[in-house]
Amino acid sequence: MSQTPRLRRARQLTASVLPTRAADGHAGLAAGRLRKIGTSAGTGMLPFSGGGNGVIYFRDGKVVYAESERTPGPAHNAYSAYAETLPPLSRIVAIRAVTEPIIDAVLELFTAQARHAKFRSSRLPVTGLASGIDVETLLAEIDRRQRLMKQLSVVLTPDTAIARNPHLRSESIRISAWQWALLIRVRHGSTPRDLAWDLRRSVFGTVTDIYRLLVLRLLSAADEVPERGLAVMSFVRAASVKKGDTMPVINAGPVINAGPVINAGSAAEDAL
Amino acid sequence: MSAYRSASFPSSPVRPLAAAREEASLILTEAEAALDPVAHIEGFVLGCLVDASTGMILAARKDQDDISLPLAAAGAADIASVLSMLGGELPVDGLEDVMVTFRNQLYVIRFISDDLEPNILLLVILDRARANLALARREIRSFCLNFAA
Repeated sequence: MSQTPRLRRARQLTASVLPTRAADGHAGLAAGRLRKIGTSAGTGMLPFSGGGNGVIYFRDGKVVYAESERTPGPAHNAYSAYAETLPPLSRIVAIRAVTEPIIDAVLELFTAQARHAKFRSSRLPVTGLASGIDVETLLAEIDRRQRLMKQLSVVLTPDTAIARNPHLRSESIRISAWQWALLIRVRHGSTPRDLAWDLRRSVFGTVTDIYRLLVLRLLSAADEVPERGLAVMSFVRAASVKKGDTMPVINAGPVINAGPVINAGSAAEDAL
Repeated sequence: MSAYRSASFPSSPVRPLAAAREEASLILTEAEAALDPVAHIEGFVLGCLVDASTGMILAARKDQDDISLPLAAAGAADIASVLSMLGGELPVDGLEDVMVTFRNQLYVIRFISDDLEPNILLLVILDRARANLALARREIRSFCLNFAA
């Protein structure tokens, strides 16, 4: 008798033939499912499994929380004080601290082509978001991030091994505290995902920061990268939607405290 | 597909995706209100807060529909990124703001805080015919100081 559970065996057998599970159409299918839940103002959870386990939680059709087993999630202090008590900048930073892990988790679920199961009602986690993120806003941001990751994938992915360069090319380099935190944690063979978990920061944000450190020659990818491959990151190219089309403005209402804050520096010469 | 269908049959309940996204971007609550002082600058066309590290738009106000918010924000983030990187290698002390002059518009890009973190940019687009650059720049600087206080 097989040791494999029947349900998993059935999934393995049908994965390659079920039309709804086609890899190419995965993003469209998942996005369609999210839109449907958004349109019907659903409240509950949409579990994902397969490429990466995770869950997206909805309240009245808006995404209030998401988690993936391959992304770190929010920092421990992200929800500790109500945003109304904070000054404007801290409030924005607090909103970002809560929304960034949500977007990061959904990006991972979409990228890993995790399969969504049936939408079902559930208790919602306390996330601190008053109104949640609109599905269209979220999908537009995911789309933009996927474009950016595609640009970077020539050089760097979340699972590319990186190493510190022993010699500095320049006498003076200005980096942020986050970038410094990344630098001092890099061991030979560390990946951006490892470092994101170490710092409890979004995988996407870690990849973009590590890319900037690659450009500054403070880090190098373990696989040698062609010289001209290093100047590819451009937010403009990632946002190259039609004129008049609109991208996400992530602001999901009052949150709860200033969480992690991010970096500076970068590269995009060829975009200018 | 849905966009074409909707364009052909205006009464169709299927909305174009772009319209849905436009609407989605206007669900701003607190952060949009936070941009009120900037929206009162003479000649104001667009203002947005951008996370310079990820390029994500955090909040926005817009008076005209013919400007692509994501492209403008992405351009501001790219410009600031390149100039910040340059600033590390030149004998200058931190990027304060960037002014870009087009024939009909002025773009002012400024880091909300002097610190490298939280690395949030303010982009303000002004109508050149109506705006007074010196006054606008002063108001933007004042806004950023109050915002970060």
